[in-house]
Amino acid sequence: MTTGNPSYTNPKPCKHLADYKLNHGLSGYKSLQKHLKTAPHGKTSVGKPSTKTPRCISCDGFQDIERAELYCCVCCDQVYDPDFDKAVMSKHIMGITGDKNGDESIGKRLVKRRRLGSGVVEELVDSKISKQLISMRDRRAKSCYPLGLRGLNNLGNTCFMNSVLQALLHAPPFRNYFLSGGHNHETCRKRSVDQLCLSCDIDVVFSAAFSGDRAPYSPAQFLYSWWQHSANLASYEQKDAHEFFISVLDGIHEKEVKSRNQNRDNGDCQCIAHGVFSGLLRSDVTCMTCGFTSTTFDPCVDISLDLDTSNFPPKNTANKSIKPDANSSMSTLLGCLDLFTRQEKLGSDSKLYCQNCQERQDSAKQMSIKRLPLVLCLHIKRFEHSPVTKMSRKIDRYLQFPLSLDMTPYLSSSVVRNRFGNRIFAFESGESDISAEFEIFAAVTHAGTLESGHYVNFLRLRNQWYKCDDAWINEVDEGMVRASQCYMMFYVQKSLYQKANEDWSHLPISPRRNMFGQ
Amino acid sequence: MGSHAQLSSQFFGDLLDSIIVDVASECHRIARLGLDRNLEEEEEELRLSAQARVRVADPSNSGEANSKYVVDIFGQTHPPVANEIFDCMNCGRSIMAGRFAPHLEKCMGKGRKARLKVTRSSTAVQNRYSQGSPVSTYSPYSNSTSTSRLSNGTSSGAGEEYSNGTFQEP
Repeated sequence: MTTGNPSYTNPKPCKHLADYKLNHGLSGYKSLQKHLKTAPHGKTSVGKPSTKTPRCISCDGFQDIERAELYCCVCCDQVYDPDFDKAVMSKHIMGITGDKNGDESIGKRLVKRRRLGSGVVEELVDSKISKQLISMRDRRAKSCYPLGLRGLNNLGNTCFMNSVLQALLHAPPFRNYFLSGGHNHETCRKRSVDQLCLSCDIDVVFSAAFSGDRAPYSPAQFLYSWWQHSANLASYEQKDAHEFFISVLDGIHEKEVKSRNQNRDNGDCQCIAHGVFSGLLRSDVTCMTCGFTSTTFDPCVDISLDLDTSNFPPKNTANKSIKPDANSSMSTLLGCLDLFTRQEKLGSDSKLYCQNCQERQDSAKQMSIKRLPLVLCLHIKRFEHSPVTKMSRKIDRYLQFPLSLDMTPYLSSSVVRNRFGNRIFAFESGESDISAEFEIFAAVTHAGTLESGHYVNFLRLRNQWYKCDDAWINEVDEGMVRASQCYMMFYVQKSLYQKANEDWSHLPISPRRNMFGQ
Repeated sequence: MGSHAQLSSQFFGDLLDSIIVDVASECHRIARLGLDRNLEEEEEELRLSAQARVRVADPSNSGEANSKYVVDIFGQTHPPVANEIFDCMNCGRSIMAGRFAPHLEKCMGKGRKARLKVTRSSTAVQNRYSQGSPVSTYSPYSNSTSTSRLSNGTSSGAGEEYSNGTFQEP
């Protein structure tokens, strides 16, 4: 559901309501506005119903007082009207902020500029160029398998690095950038005084992976460079795949910022790391006394999710539990995302200052996604630290995840709208038209304990799954991936995924798949 | 039934009706305005995952799921410890790939004693609310609650074996 949903922006009006509006205009709504009351949690009702409330005699317009909904007595059904919803929302906004325009911009730091980065990234991910480059490579080596598929040697407990590298090697826009010469390590080294350049090292890894050579590659130089980079930060001893991922993106970004000698706004950074992985999160803090909401935006390169336990079965938009039987005890990715975007009441020990009330009040916080990245990395917080026992443990709980993911319900437009009872109103303006449909292409799994475990990456290329276990690349079926314990999941926009599949379509697919009827 | 019981029963009935209509009204609006989620697709994904888990857990199911691999898809075989040899870019010595990382640790003087203690930086948004926003931003290691760190293998040094190809049940 994008903003192009006609049922939402312009629902088919009930004939009787349409007639009423023709005859009486919006005056009825206007006089009703005085009696509308929206509670801090977003639900509107009509207070003090009086005989003065206009009810058209010939029509049938009628009111659900408790919920401020229109009901047509002739149709015997609840009906919807954008003008009515607008009247409801405008009253609410004016009531809180005293802003006559009903503009929800107070307290917001809007990222006004459209993301320029996407334009730059698109130029550099021209897959035509990368296709030419690929065809020039050595075709003798096992050309029936997807190019770029190559094992990575474990250099001594470096599977955390290998699993993330495999994901980066096959993230379509990231891959296309490097394969089409987006960062040429030969020309870069000559220009730069500072020898350390993670992008160069990644470029080398890309060249090796896509060279056609299928013997496992040792990313030793990359490890060396990365340790030099991360030595500047906290402990170099990052054996966690997620921290490694963040650190690598950070390293790429830093070099970009240094070489271009600029200090860009975080939200518009044009380095390849942010161009591919960066999204924007919206955080709303609502005062539970007056309903005033303070909104902030923050960029992110991934989303870390708490596991939804059986205490929180996944809900749909009407806050109903889906199938409260066997499935409700299973954690799902959608459940985690629901949990992430749920409005959470902050404890009374953390009252926040409300600009409207001019004092500290109980508040509620709600996260949502303002802008989705091209590649969405979802990280599951499988680490649990108890402040009481001071012990840490890994949560082995299985998490169900989809191969096709629709992020629409988690967008700011959906979440904010839902908070106000799904009224027809332009809650979120200027949302980019990036699609919300994603396809998974890589899954990093972890087996074992906190102290000793093993990372494995599953790659999905041209709808065939491959298990990348350090040096070992094997074909596996989808079921094995679904049943595995995921730690990080990499989703790419559906259009980019389909495009990536087409790119290699001129190469024959694996014969083994046909043999086993997979 | 006494009039008190009747009255309270009536109140209860009204409250219950109100709650039911709340949900019905919400759902009606969502459905009418085309805002519902694609439940069919979601349920299909759930079904496929459940099926997969059953298949994988079935001991009679032989195959890749539970056994070590003999060869990879390219027909290659690999030793438990990678035996490619190359020169360390820090000291120049010839090192075997599988022992490179522990060698480099010592070579770069990065033993546990040499570790620097740097306070983890976090952006304000992480510290602002008690809930500990789970978001990573541009600043490295911004999860001040240092959540979810899964290490792989102990840091004790060289020559550790590790499995390659066995699938462990969740």
